[in-house]
Amino acid sequence: MKDMAIWTEKLVKQYGKLKAVDELDLHVLRGGIYGFLGRNGAGKTSTIKVLLGLTRPAAGEAMVLGFHTGRQQVAILERTAYVSETKTLYGALTAQELVRFTRSFYPNWSDDAVPKYARSFEIPMDRPFAKLSLGNRTKVCLLLALAQNADLLILDEPTSGLDPVAVDEFQRVIVEDVASEGRTVLISSHQLADMERIADWVGLIDHGRLLLEARLDDIKSQFRLITAAGAALPQGTTADIISVSANGDFCKYVVRQNAEAFAAELRALGAMITDISPLGLREIFLELVRKEEPCTSGNAGGIPAAVSSSF
Amino acid sequence: MLLHLNPSSGVPIYLQIENQVKHYIAAGALTPSDALPSVRQVAADLRINPNTVARAYQNLERDGVLQTVPGGRTYVAENPTGLLKSEKIRRLRPHARQMAVEGTQLRLAPREIIDLVWQELNALEEAHERHGDLDRKAR
Repeated sequence: MKDMAIWTEKLVKQYGKLKAVDELDLHVLRGGIYGFLGRNGAGKTSTIKVLLGLTRPAAGEAMVLGFHTGRQQVAILERTAYVSETKTLYGALTAQELVRFTRSFYPNWSDDAVPKYARSFEIPMDRPFAKLSLGNRTKVCLLLALAQNADLLILDEPTSGLDPVAVDEFQRVIVEDVASEGRTVLISSHQLADMERIADWVGLIDHGRLLLEARLDDIKSQFRLITAAGAALPQGTTADIISVSANGDFCKYVVRQNAEAFAAELRALGAMITDISPLGLREIFLELVRKEEPCTSGNAGGIPAAVSSSF
Repeated sequence: MLLHLNPSSGVPIYLQIENQVKHYIAAGALTPSDALPSVRQVAADLRINPNTVARAYQNLERDGVLQTVPGGRTYVAENPTGLLKSEKIRRLRPHARQMAVEGTQLRLAPREIIDLVWQELNALEEAHERHGDLDRKAR
């Protein structure tokens, strides 16, 4: 567990009857970039809030950087930088004033980082936060997070509103200044193509449950989508078969490993294998999440305020 | 060293890096004792995870293609094909099998399949000669 930056066991967060986080076991290795993926309302932000001690879990345990959430919260917050989903800061303060306000909370704060990132992200430092565009607000939040020199960065939708140049700069900074220094990043994002580039691990959550947690390289080299045609094909999932969807006599299987061996089994059952193809992150996401019931909780339906105001 | 990656393809990024480095060496664009950029540099330039680049370099080192000297710099190995002949054949066989299977499925004649391999070998050799000429001109 020492090599884990974040570790949770059977974590549960409940809002009334709704289980926003449902027995979640999360494993984020130190020194990696972890892509925390899921639909709107899947439970990503709720999980993050538990990790940061912003809300209390109903059950289960969580450790962040070796400290217990809840019991050793100050130690965690001193070492963890957080960019929230909503990107809200004091609207009347300028970025420069927000820097002066924030720096005193963090023992490893770097004053040199402020002008460096203000320049590289082209942040207007002397305008009130409330007057900034969403993209510029996001940049201010990133600047405040990066200057903390934190061991762990938890970034909830860190590229919202950013233009492609700013996204590229964000990726460079995360790779060069954070990951190359052995620090850990957890990013929650819907930008699957961006995640595919910089993440080395991904966790896919839906309805508060972890559907998949794997190294991205393993997904590419071992995960396969097998399409087969035949009568009475197996419908159950196993350790290797992580999803099955049937359509008439056709079955689609997402297989974690040993795809060729499973295809041979299907052929032995009289099936015709029509396709075995590798999966990108987007396909994995759609295959695993699409067949589930539509999300009705949280901020589903494009009303981002709903989830935070109900807390 | 110029790497072109396609992060959303089904091929893992570390494998894309390995294949391109091997290609550069086979084509003579990288020669023994050429230094490679650091893991950090490659990751930052391409905006990809440093662990992924490190994995590619480690695999290439394990295969005897690259070597890292004390102090951390990575070079093209002096004898990048220092593997046993039997091991080389073992590694190449799956590719040959795939050519054979796919070619047959596409109804190509055996002769046509083998010609394709010849064409690729010739292209590599020509690339190698071009680099050789450039090197001589540079001197």
